[in-house]
Parts: sequence; structure tokens; C-alpha cells
Amino acid sequence: MGLKPATNPDVEAATIELSIDGKIVAAKNGVSLYDVISSTGKIIPAMCYHYTFDPFGSCGMCLVMQEGKKAPVRSCTAKAAAGMIVRTEGEDLFLARKKAVEKHLSVHPLDCPVCDADGHCELQDMAFQHGVTNLPNAKQKFIPEDTRSPVLDFNMNRCIACAECINVCKDVLMIDVLQFTKKDGFTQVVPKGDVALSCEFCGDCLAVCPVGAITNKFSKYLYKPWQIKKTTTTCNYCGDGCQMHLETKDAEVVRVTSLLSWKNKWGDRADTAKGHGGLCVRGRFGFEYIDSQARLKQPLLRKDNQLVPTPWLEAMHVVSERFAEIQRKHGPDAIAGLITARCTNEELYLFQKLMRTGFKTNHLDSSARYGHLNFVHASRQALGIGRSPNDWEDLTKAKAIIVIGSNITETNPLTAVRIKEALRVYQAQVVVIDSTVTNMARLASHPVLINPGTEGLVIDGLIKAALELDLIDEASVKQYPRAFEALKAAVAHISLERIAAQTGMSVDCLRSTVAIFAEAPRSIIVCAEGIVRQANGYQNVLKLIDLAWITGKLGQPGCGVNTVTEEPNEQGAVDMGVAPEFLPGQASFNDQAARDRFGKAWDMPLPAAGSGANLVEILKRCKSGEIRALYVVGENPLATLPASMEVRAALDRLELLVVQDPFLTDTGRMAHAVLPACTSAEKDGTFTNLEGRVLRVREAMDPIGESLPDWHIMTALANALGCEWAYESSNDIQAEIMKVLPGYYNLGQPRKVVPTVDRYLSSGYDSEVSARYQASAPAPKDQRPFTLLMGQVLYHSGKLSTAAPGLIKISPNTGRLKMNPQDMERLGVSEGANVRLTSDSGSLQLAVQADQFVTTQTCFFPEHFNEPPVKDLMAVQVDPTTGVPSFKQTRVTIDKA
Amino acid sequence: MRITVLIKKVLQAALFYEIWGAMKVTFKHMFHKPITFQYPREQRILPDTHRGALALLRYDDHQERCVGCDLCEAACPSRCIKVISAEDVKRPLQRIASEFYIDITKCVFCGYCVEACPVNALAMTKMYEFSTHDKRTLLFDKERLYDIGERHLEDAKKYLYAHNQEKNVEESREYRYYFPQSVLKPTQPPPKHLG
Repeated sequence: MGLKPATNPDVEAATIELSIDGKIVAAKNGVSLYDVISSTGKIIPAMCYHYTFDPFGSCGMCLVMQEGKKAPVRSCTAKAAAGMIVRTEGEDLFLARKKAVEKHLSVHPLDCPVCDADGHCELQDMAFQHGVTNLPNAKQKFIPEDTRSPVLDFNMNRCIACAECINVCKDVLMIDVLQFTKKDGFTQVVPKGDVALSCEFCGDCLAVCPVGAITNKFSKYLYKPWQIKKTTTTCNYCGDGCQMHLETKDAEVVRVTSLLSWKNKWGDRADTAKGHGGLCVRGRFGFEYIDSQARLKQPLLRKDNQLVPTPWLEAMHVVSERFAEIQRKHGPDAIAGLITARCTNEELYLFQKLMRTGFKTNHLDSSARYGHLNFVHASRQALGIGRSPNDWEDLTKAKAIIVIGSNITETNPLTAVRIKEALRVYQAQVVVIDSTVTNMARLASHPVLINPGTEGLVIDGLIKAALELDLIDEASVKQYPRAFEALKAAVAHISLERIAAQTGMSVDCLRSTVAIFAEAPRSIIVCAEGIVRQANGYQNVLKLIDLAWITGKLGQPGCGVNTVTEEPNEQGAVDMGVAPEFLPGQASFNDQAARDRFGKAWDMPLPAAGSGANLVEILKRCKSGEIRALYVVGENPLATLPASMEVRAALDRLELLVVQDPFLTDTGRMAHAVLPACTSAEKDGTFTNLEGRVLRVREAMDPIGESLPDWHIMTALANALGCEWAYESSNDIQAEIMKVLPGYYNLGQPRKVVPTVDRYLSSGYDSEVSARYQASAPAPKDQRPFTLLMGQVLYHSGKLSTAAPGLIKISPNTGRLKMNPQDMERLGVSEGANVRLTSDSGSLQLAVQADQFVTTQTCFFPEHFNEPPVKDLMAVQVDPTTGVPSFKQTRVTIDKA
Repeated sequence: MRITVLIKKVLQAALFYEIWGAMKVTFKHMFHKPITFQYPREQRILPDTHRGALALLRYDDHQERCVGCDLCEAACPSRCIKVISAEDVKRPLQRIASEFYIDITKCVFCGYCVEACPVNALAMTKMYEFSTHDKRTLLFDKERLYDIGERHLEDAKKYLYAHNQEKNVEESREYRYYFPQSVLKPTQPPPKHLG
């Protein structure tokens, strides 16, 4: 079988004609006959078929009569050929299909009433459709249920050996942990090696299982499909913006299902370039935080140094009074606000409007500050667009992809699946440059391991290699000769050999990487936490843009420099203007035309141009006493930022700290008032994902307890402060955003924007470029030999996922530092032994754990857990241009304790 | 002619003829077997097919029959049944109804739920007296339903038998389905016809 799709951007398959039920149908040569038949609108039953992978042909249901053949043929594995004459209906075919159903049913237990798939089972549907009422030779299997995995149960009595789970795992996700084995005389699916299943737990095997052979431990026996309400909404764990069905029963979330399912198995393989519809472990199994017992159900007010449950009216009264008092006494600049990028666009918009017109201050920031804001600033500066230029389809169909400083499978698993498809289906060349052996590096065609913290130097080397090998796109550089000369002069001092020595990436490797990138017709760079959340992130993204520019990849279709975001609406936070430097639509806060426009739209003068403090500045001013009241929506600076930023001291000095959150966070425990907010499952709105698509978030259930949507609380607060806001639903806010930002709601399609480098390259480029490529002093190695990295793990996202018991069960906080086994041997520590970890900012003792994918001289601790408080060892470096604090990497010493 | 009619009428009136006629009926009933039941003191004998209060049944080893499959809930035309199912804590992988409610005020006594039940856990009894001072007690919960089942076990079994749903106690388990048991703790041997 040839791989579908038959056409790709480079090769167009020939068109052929064949006759189906007497009608002439045009099709692409070489595709499956089943696809051709289903494209005409006819549906033939098939239990082992799914359009996302190659046909397997085990169920024997998709039978058709082909002229010239005596027996019916399986249409899924038959290739369409010119001149074929096919019949898909008839009594003989019905009986043949019925026989196939009987064959499956005769070894299938009739335990439908207690099966989780009851009512959502293809075998049940088929038995009903074909009128199977009597099974003469039924036999039972009595295979014990495999319950060893923490997530999925395998009941192989029910398995019909369709291999959909194996195929989706191997072909689509490239995880490949399932296999067939013959045990006790029956073919059954087992995890490879017949051990407890331990994988990425994306659960796509569960989604495609047409029977109840694979079931979900978290929702086992809790529901019947007809009892649950299904709401299509957007996942709120990462910036991928996956669509999912949240299935609820009264006030309880029962399970999450994906668009990928055995139910929608008909489609064009080429469409998977836009996403295969699956979910990751966080989206599918991390739903339990929504109806968690830990949710706040009532407002809390501090009375006698204790947080006491208080009715809403009283709480809002006190909060608004205190805000108004501080505003009156100390002026509007004594108030500041922070919001999380897990809020919807509408709420983010309302937040900045509340801060700017209600509190009349420009001290506001969002978690995008320590997220992807370095990228936004660099991209906006150079190209005029503050977001990733490419969508998932571009990524899938790229010919060369450089993934630098991004553990993309762990941070954005579904974007990683796009790269996997590029690798597997479109044979792209993928270069992964990272200081750990990431999952993507293990799959990539060109994995490169570098020394930690040398990503910036690698980019210098790539640019130098491009110039040396003359991989320059003449047309691009010819337009801006001065800028090009300046760039050449700036990198003149760089020697590839020295870079190779410093980064651990050989000269040949640098050369071949840049050759792959420059020579491919569609080349994409993906940079993430290793670049944008580190020191010099802004400059390093600009360097990547330089690389794309000189190789002629800027503005070309399917090319560009991209990032991925950790939180679902980081892009929305920037687009809605939740930053002191931005107004909605990424207009500059100091731009007089934009100020006039928004001042008029909001009927209120804006705070003075040039005023405003960002996250780091706000905390500094809180500590100095300049800011006296802080309004924190969903943020938790105390648990996120390292101790060296002195968050606790800053919050302690505040006269009023109001925290609005679904949970009682560390910051909430310090607050004077805590307002219970809803999670995204209980409100309407939109998220903007990393591609720039605006996606709907829908209300799946009533708010838990007395919690309220954030926009509702903010509207009440604004009205108490004297604004006259009449928003009654998030639709009203949407209507206003549509007026001030025409075209922002783009019906789920990313807005195509053409990057313009003109302004950037023709004015001021040459003066700033030399500083960008200045050789930085190599880090002193001897004093602190190890690099401590903190990052995301696949099973968690920020602090939110730690409130989901299911994800904690899959990946608990081990409290252990991950180290390379070789390093452990050198230090003479064994698994679980304690070590002392010392950085410039402090020292603590913790146990170690061997991880072969962590490279030597580095160690890793997940950023989601603060027990032990490893984050407090981090030093903070603040980017001078963008004000982004970076605190995910530091140098440490490790001693045996 | 008119005179005779008139005399007859006068005589009848004088002798209270109609009253005697009526009294005749009354006196006849004094020697007649009474038709009316003296209801609270006398109870009617009901047929086995009678559809009265619903009950949940147990197997002879006191195990709950109900597997929490929610099919009764789906079959109920008046939506008076609510089943909340879960995995049994004591017997892993065994599905069980952790909560079971029947709002008997809404029940139309159609018996569909009994027919839908794959394990014959539900049955109808001959109990029909629901009068109470507190309407809330008419929301039967799982405990109450098992209690009714225990007290009216004979009637319930007769009901299932009369409706051709269960042949006798011994065969009841293997009558419709056999559910694969927990591998860790088998609680019952595989039935004869599958063994």
C-alpha cells in the first residue's frame, strides 16, 4: 500500500475514472477504493478503517463486488484503478457483511449493559443494522482485564482485533507502544513487552476503539452515552487550542472525548495536515480539576488575619470600597493588576479596560510576559506581526523544520504531531537543536545535542555558515544592501570553530543544518522556551529572523519563524492589549492615533502615554510601597516566580491584595479578599491559539458553588467604581471587541498577514545589528559545573494541572532531580539518594533520579512543583528591551549529601 | 277504567307500596353475601402479574443483583428512575449502582424497567399502599428498594415468573447474561452453560 494522501504539495497524482454503482466517478490514482466510494457520499460499514492511517483490512465489512472477481473484495485495501466497475449494494453483499458481524459477535461477550461503550459501539450498531439475533456457535474468551496502567484498562474479551489502536499509535502519533500478541489462543492487543502501559497517554487509542476493549479508568462505569451532555469547547491547557467534547452529567464532568473517534472515520487524509482531531493526555484526562473539591465556592474576606467565607454582596462592597479609597488617597498609580493568559479574550479585554478606565492606571500585565512576549516583540519589531506566521498546515507540509530550544512534544503535543506527520508522510527534514534529548530529537532526521544555554551561539553559527556557504537569497538581500552589509560586518568576527567548541555542535553540523534550511522550498523555524524564555530571548528571535531573511524565507508561503505558547490564550492576552506597552490589536500604547481611537471608543481618557509598569516593575513598586493595591486574576506570582524576585516581601507590603481564582492559591492565602472565579468549562468566550485562530470556549455546565465568570466579577467591580458597563454576557463584550478590532473574530481561520520587513531593514537596522552579534563572554564553567533546567513535562501545564487528580496520578511530584546516570555515577550517588544542590541564590537538599535523556552536566526539575522549592534557586535576568524575566536556567553545583 | 287506576293508586299510596318494594331489596341484602371489601381490614387477593411497587432484588448469597447499567432509566417513560453507577470498591471491575432512586409519585407502573433489566434485579410487588404524611418519603432510594425487595421477595419472584422473565431461582443468574467477574477476586463460578 502506498501512503495516503496520494497528492502532496510536490507531486500531483493522476486522475482516473471508475464506475461505482453505475456512476462514473473521478478519483486520484492509487488511493483506497473505500475512500473513493465514501467520497461519493455512500457509506459502507467498516470497523477497522479510519482515514488518518493506512487501511488495515481486518474486519471484513467493507465488501464490494468488483466486476471480474467471483468473491466480494475488501474495498479498503483495494486500490482504485482506472476502469474498475464496482457494485456496493445488494442482497449478497448484505449477507456477506452480516456473516462478518456474526463472526465478530460469536467471540464477543454480551456484557453490553456493563460495558462503557454501550450505546457508543460500532459492533452493537452493526449487529442491529444487520439484524443479528442468533449466534449458533458463540464462545467466550475469559481473558483477565489488564488494569495495570494508571489510565487505560484493556478488556481483551471485547477486542475485535481491528488494530485501530495500534495503527493510530504507530502511524499517526509515532509513539508505537501497542502490539498484537497471541495469548491463550486469542489475538489480543497488549502494551509492547506485555508490561503495564506507560506512554504519552494521549488516549487516541481509546478514541478510535470501536468497541469497549479499551476503557478509561477515570470515567469507568460512570455514565451511559445517552445520559451525558456534550459540549464542544477549546482545551485550556496549552496554546494548541485543540477542540474537544466536554461530556458532563449534571454538575459533574464525566469524560472528555476528541473529534478523533471511530464515529467520524470518513475523511480526506490530506485534511489531517490541519490536525488529526486527537487530544493529548492533559486535554483528555486532565478534566478533573473542573469539579474538584478544592474549588473555591464562596468569596473569602480577611477578618482577624483569617480568610472567612463572606456573601458576594459584602465581599464586593468591601473590595470596591477599598480600591476606591486607595485610588482617592494615593492616586490611580497606586493600583496594579495581573491576569493569567488562561482567561478568555473577552475577559482579557475587559481586564485591561477595567484597569485603564476604571482604575485609570496602566500598571497591568499578563502571564504572557514570562511566556512568549519576547517573540511577540521581536516579530512585531521586524515583521510587523506579533505572532507566529505559520499555521499547522504549513508545519505539516514543510520540507525543512528547525526546532530549536523547544521540547515541543512535552509543551505542545499536538503541534508536535504536526511535525511528526511532516516527518512521516511528507518526508520533511527535521533538525532538532536542544540541550536535552527530547522526544522530537529521537524521531527527527537530524537531532543535534548542544550545551545548555548556547542556543544563541548556535544561531550565530548558522548565520555565519549561511554566509560562508553562500546560501544567500540574492533577491531578498539585494533590496536592502546596507542592512546586509551591516549584518555581514557584525558577524565577521565569528568563527565557526569557536562556536563549535562552545556549543558542542560541530562545524559540519552547522553547515549541513543551514544547507537543509536554505535549500528546502518550505522551511520553518520553531523556537520556544529555550529561546524566548531565556536571557537574550528578544535578540535571539531577531537573529532567527535574520537567518530567515538572508536565506529568502521571509514572507514566502509556508516559511517563517514561529513559536509555541504554554498557556491557551497568551496570544489573545497580547492581542487584547494586556501589557503596559500595548493597546488592543497590539497597537502601541504611546501611539497617539490609537490612543485617540480607544479613548473615544471607551469614552474616557487613557492613562498618560509612557506610563505603565510591567510584571517585574509592578513587583518592584509593590515592594517600594509605590503600588498599594494589586488585583490578581488567576495569577499566582508567589508560586511561579523565584524567591529572588522577592514576591512575598512585595505582596506583604500591599494594603489591598485581591485574588480572583478558581482555587485558593499560595498568593490567595496572602490576600485580603479572594473572589471565586469559574474555570473555562463554566463560561463562554474565545481563545486565540498559537496559529492566531480564534476558537470558541463554550459553557458546559453551571458554575460550581457561588463562583462567577471573571468578566462578570470585573463588570460588577467596574460599575462599583463608577463605570457604566452594561455587559450581560460575553457576547456583549465580543460585540464591543468586534467594533474596536474589526476582523479579529475570524471564524476559526487564522488571519493571513504578510510580513513587512521594509521599515525594519531600511531604518535603524544597521546600527543595532552589530550589538546583537557581539561575542558574549563564555560562562565560567569551573565554579558551578552543572546547569539546572526547569521546564514543562508532558503531563502538566503550569500549576493548573496539579489540581487535576488524574494527571497527578499519572505524573506525581516525585520531588526528585533528574540527572544523567553517568553524572550520578561520577558523583557516586544512587537512585533516590539525597544530594545538595547549590546555586548563587541558595541551596537545598533533594533526592535524585536517573534519566538517560537528560544530558551530562545538566539536571532537570519540572516547573510545576514547588516541593522542594527548586525554583527559588533560580536567578532572574530581565530583558532590557522587553522586560521579560527569565528564570528557567541557572548554574549549580551538586554535592553528595 | 280511570276509576280503577285511581283506586289502585290511592290504595298503593295508603299502604306505602313503593316503600315495601324498596324495603324488599334492602331485606334481600341482609341475607346476601356482601360484595364490598372492608378495605383497610380486608385485603384483596391480587394476581401474580400485578404491577405494584418496584423492588430491587439480591441473589441468594445476598449479593446485589443490580449492575448499575442504567437501562431501566433509559426505558422509563415517565423518567422517574435515576441510577448512579460506579465501580464497586470491594470488588474491582464490577459495575454497581452506587445510588438508585425511584420517584414513585411519578411512576406509571408500566413495568418497562423490569423488562429492560438484564439481570432481573428489578421486579414489581403487590404492594400498592403509598399514603404518607411526607411526600419526600416517596422518593425511594436504594436502601428502601432493597428493603421492599426483601419483604416482598416471594411476590417479586412470582411477578418475574408470571411475566416469563425468570424461570426459578437457580437459573436466574444464567438466565440472560453472564458478566465477566473481577480477575482478582472471582465471586461466582462461570455458569453451567458457559463452563
